[in-house]
Amino acid sequence: MPSYKLHYFNSRGFGEQIRVLFALAGVEYEDIRYTQEEWPAVKATGKFPFGTVPCLEVDGVMLAQSNAIARYLANEYGFAGKNNLEKAKVDMIVDAFGDLFKMAIKWYYAADEDAKAAAIEEFKTKTCPAIYGGLEKILVANNGGDGYYVGNEVTLADTTLIMAEDITKRMNPQVLDNYPKQKALTERVLALPKIADWIRKRPQTDH
Amino acid sequence: MKSCPSIASTTIERSEAMPSYKLYYFNARGRAEHSRLLFAMAGVEYQDVRYTREQWPVEKASGRFPFGQLPCLHVNGVMLAQSNAIARYLANEFGMAGKNNLEKAKVDMIVDAIDDLAQAMVKFFHEKDEQKKAEAKDEFKTKTVPILYGALERLLIANDGGDGFFVGEEPTLADFAFVTNGDYVKKFNPEVLDNYPKLKALQERVFELPRIAEWVKKRPVTEM
Repeated sequence: MPSYKLHYFNSRGFGEQIRVLFALAGVEYEDIRYTQEEWPAVKATGKFPFGTVPCLEVDGVMLAQSNAIARYLANEYGFAGKNNLEKAKVDMIVDAFGDLFKMAIKWYYAADEDAKAAAIEEFKTKTCPAIYGGLEKILVANNGGDGYYVGNEVTLADTTLIMAEDITKRMNPQVLDNYPKQKALTERVLALPKIADWIRKRPQTDH
Repeated sequence: MKSCPSIASTTIERSEAMPSYKLYYFNARGRAEHSRLLFAMAGVEYQDVRYTREQWPVEKASGRFPFGQLPCLHVNGVMLAQSNAIARYLANEFGMAGKNNLEKAKVDMIVDAIDDLAQAMVKFFHEKDEQKKAEAKDEFKTKTVPILYGALERLLIANDGGDGFFVGEEPTLADFAFVTNGDYVKKFNPEVLDNYPKLKALQERVFELPRIAEWVKKRPVTEM
């Protein structure tokens, strides 16, 4: 087993999907969490390839980019999809959520109240229907939609759904009411014993 | 200059029948071109569907594109969406994704970082306010590009001195994503690669690969 060190802040954010995958895989790792005060000095060391976190150190090799790291763990521990086509379906779902997160970031960094209101409006009326709507169809097409997004087992696509729920619930709390299969899938994933266990014991942070 | 004998001189051998590929996009390089380069490099046939602006609303309304966006790839009865999911699928199929999970992760991280650059470009490209546009363009040139290209130059050099490719010893999706994105960076920042000699040489090296050079010669010439 390689030695793993996850570098991120003391928050869930874009690091949490990696922590959830480690929990699902039952694999040990060092969960390094930088404070805002520590960060400038740590960043200045230049050890993170793009000066950003999360990064995952694998036997001393520093990987960057949250999705690249998540996919690496998913591939290593069997949550990526069973063949190239399944993996592509998983990737497409993860990337669709990526578009959702970009909107959330736009809202988060909006310059003033008007911009924030406009961002939420776009999120609710355009972004969510396009993305969650498209994903609901994909889920239903997978054998009726009462299992997982791709294949018969949980994959990175499903863990990204719960991450999306965490990130967007402040912007559009009832969004999943319109997407019953995804609402049920969210609950199903959160109830997986290893994930439920991690959620119970993880550090409690605001976001 | 390194060559890549295992890919350059053979077409991909498949024991089962080659699937039929249909790539859907606009008449542009944009978010489909790294996939087109992969097809070219692998010597694999595909249908290169290019919608005009007039055709697109009707095609979009058909509902067959999962998120109402392009590019999409139709293969083995499945419609895949999301440009990087498509490119990575092709890269995996054609053996240009990295040779093991760790190499694949390195390829992915480079592709994702380049995507961040593309997002930054789209941001000021669409900005209507002249002042904000000028500021965004300036930030792109003086901060975004140097941070990213500086990092990519370091990563390239870390791979055995930087005179080959980004990951391993053969071209991967990372190299194709870099050169297709580089086309646009050049428009806003023509001399930028002068500051990054290994990246500059890599770009030239990729465009000199015979199958890539051939594709570039024969592909439709488009502004974007």
